[in-house]
Amino acid sequence: MSSETYTDTADPTADATAGDVSSFRVEGISKSFRHVQALDGVSLEANRGEVIGLVGENGAGKSTLLNILTGVLQADGGQLYVDGEPVTFTNPREAANYGVSLVHQEQDVITTLRGYENLYLGREKERLGVLEKETMRKEAQAFVDDLGINIDVNDHVRDYTFNERQMLEIAKAFHVSQKSDNPVILLDEPTAGLEESGRELLFDLVNDLRDRATFVFVSHELDEVLEISDRIYVLKDGEQVGMTNVEDATTDSLQQAMVGRETADEYYRVPDQRRAGQLGEVAMAVDNVAHEDAVGPVSFSLREGEIFGIVGVEGSGKQRFGRLLAGDLEMTQGSISVMGTELNNPSVSDMVDAGVGYIPKDRKSEGLLLYQSVLVNTSLAMIRDMNGRMPALDLDAEQEATMNAIDELSIKTPGPNALVHGLSGGNQQKVVIARWLAQDTPILVMDNVTRGIDVGAKEEVYRLCRELTDQGVSIVFIGDELPEVIGMSNRIGVMANGQFVAEPFEASPGNKPTEEDLIQEMI
Amino acid sequence: MSTSSVSDWITAQREQRTLQDWIQDLGPFVMLFGLMVIFTLTTERFFTQGNLLDNVAKNAVTLLLVALAGTFPILQQSIDLSVESVVLLTGVVTVVLIAEFGLGLLAIPIAIGVGMLAGLFNGLVFTKLKVPSFLVTLGTLSVMAGVGKIITGGSTITFRNDSIRSIATGTVFGIPNLVLWGLLIYVGTIVLAFRTKFGRYCFALGENERVVELAGAKVDRYKIYPFMLSGLLCGVAGVLLTLRISSASPNIGSGLMLPSIAAIVMGGTALTGGVGGPHRTILGVLVIAVLNNGMNLLAIDSFVQEIVLGLVVVAAVALSIDRDKIDVVK
Repeated sequence: MSSETYTDTADPTADATAGDVSSFRVEGISKSFRHVQALDGVSLEANRGEVIGLVGENGAGKSTLLNILTGVLQADGGQLYVDGEPVTFTNPREAANYGVSLVHQEQDVITTLRGYENLYLGREKERLGVLEKETMRKEAQAFVDDLGINIDVNDHVRDYTFNERQMLEIAKAFHVSQKSDNPVILLDEPTAGLEESGRELLFDLVNDLRDRATFVFVSHELDEVLEISDRIYVLKDGEQVGMTNVEDATTDSLQQAMVGRETADEYYRVPDQRRAGQLGEVAMAVDNVAHEDAVGPVSFSLREGEIFGIVGVEGSGKQRFGRLLAGDLEMTQGSISVMGTELNNPSVSDMVDAGVGYIPKDRKSEGLLLYQSVLVNTSLAMIRDMNGRMPALDLDAEQEATMNAIDELSIKTPGPNALVHGLSGGNQQKVVIARWLAQDTPILVMDNVTRGIDVGAKEEVYRLCRELTDQGVSIVFIGDELPEVIGMSNRIGVMANGQFVAEPFEASPGNKPTEEDLIQEMI
Repeated sequence: MSTSSVSDWITAQREQRTLQDWIQDLGPFVMLFGLMVIFTLTTERFFTQGNLLDNVAKNAVTLLLVALAGTFPILQQSIDLSVESVVLLTGVVTVVLIAEFGLGLLAIPIAIGVGMLAGLFNGLVFTKLKVPSFLVTLGTLSVMAGVGKIITGGSTITFRNDSIRSIATGTVFGIPNLVLWGLLIYVGTIVLAFRTKFGRYCFALGENERVVELAGAKVDRYKIYPFMLSGLLCGVAGVLLTLRISSASPNIGSGLMLPSIAAIVMGGTALTGGVGGPHRTILGVLVIAVLNNGMNLLAIDSFVQEIVLGLVVVAAVALSIDRDKIDVVK
């Protein structure tokens, strides 16, 4: 897609500082956890000024490799070279001394501290045991300014936007590796929580800084990897199965290398989409609902078997609108009617009673009880009405519902009593979905339902959505990934300032809007 | 090797019991057994039916009830510090209703009801006014103790009614009623914890309240119930304690709170909520009861006893805590 943009930097020798010495190189790195070979003889190399993409399905070994590069884990075999020098890291501090640092997938900043305090966290400047706050603040501001990062380091991080926090983290990565003249910044799924605008800011920053550091960019989003990287390594089952220059790669070719099989042309199973004539009665009618001035007023109706997509930029209110539909945000105006029942300012409990199940964007903090079993998580909604108002649980019914869910959603778990924490992201998300299927919920509100799960699991979620709509389930499909929303939806509402900017787009098979169509309305 | 084999492996590790798991599970058992062996060897009286039933078991019942009471708020990541004051208040109410109002048996449900109301008050202030349970119950700990002491007028109050007393002091096939009541309620709390919605929500709320809320549960209600149950069980403890000695002094119940929390945590219920349960709380209670009894039999100085008890509690918790599930300790 952007192959021609970076052809000049794709050749590392073009960079004056590069010479023949690679920024870092790993040779034949292996790592096993007891019986499982997580990495098997992986080799890769990055030259100064390069942005290296690293892709692979969940479990392919990406995280293990990052952990070895930063000294969190130690390799069983193989050798790591930084700046041509063979090195062995036993902890992240040693790695940082050589310039290697990791920007975590989950934001790793302390929100109650100020920006500069986070920047210096653990490495504070002090004189006679007293912090030199003013010095740190000034130096920190100069440091981020120099990087071209536009944040005020004196502000509390809690007042930062999601984006600014991430910028701070990148600044921190540079800061901890400033002793080295060869910083290597590892970005682990840096766009996972970002929306379109945030992603652009991040990519601009990486592009601006590419002559000052070597980046490794790890992501599930292949189009992003293609946009930012010079070269891309593919890991599969712990082995390095391919390296391509970005101009030779496409999302299809990468996907094929990652999965090891032909991906369906119809990734989103568009032919299975319900046609307008196949849709049922109105399942949910939203009439002029609003939450104070922040969201709404919004009106739309959703028919049985329909997928209604909602897109919008960061801050457009689409996420809060999802919460409003879930009863999680106070409805200060308007009313909503679900399966013919009218509700005014419903609570989450009311909406669940009416037949609406909400799947939040962040499954770890809002979707799952990580240290409870698959069974407890699956039955968490159905136990509400178990045995009428009687307090007793029906353990047999829970067991049966869980076994059915494991079977139907092909959840990979050792059993119903295994803790959810141990499952892969895709399987965890299936458990969240299973909770609503266990009680035959007719309407699902999904907020970025495939966020952070691998290609295989995404395909399964798409298949599941198609099967559900065949059974008459209706889905509100809120998403940041435009191709996904376009592919999945029957109609698409574009949101800005908490409202739909126009009549929803028709998105029937063969008549789908393009990304550009939607983006034009979004901004 | 399949693509998800690493996560499969991690899951398998969690399923497969490691030595550490066994230590966590068996720690309190080993400690209890060890203490019993030590006291059996060092004292003549410890391992006799008279001592075990009449001293250890009967003394353990009050602590057991209070610890079971405290287990549920802790499971949902709250805490009830007011337990010992509820014991005092309900104990005093029992004696006054029998001795001064002549209510007889009716005094018992009323006193237990007072305990539940105290719990309801804690729960309402905690959920509706959003005051942390630690602070609410720290306040009511003081308030209810004051009310109870005012009712006694500052001196021990007594009643005479042997038929009512026998509820606590009688025996069935040689086993003290008090112990039977304790066991009955113990089993009841296990059923509540593992066979009811209430119990399930306790564990779930303790781990992540948002998840439970988004699953459609009426969260406030289920956050109040554990406090009402706590008040109820402390009421039972207050009633049984006063029936046993047919009197209530202004300081009954005092000093129960800390050992009860120690017993809960020793049993494996983490203060961070979500794990453990009442079934194991009894282990912590027995460790403390046996230790107290044995040290008394050995005529160990009471100040030294305090030191030993504290050390044993810390050691038992260190053994039984599930560190895998705890990222940060505060």
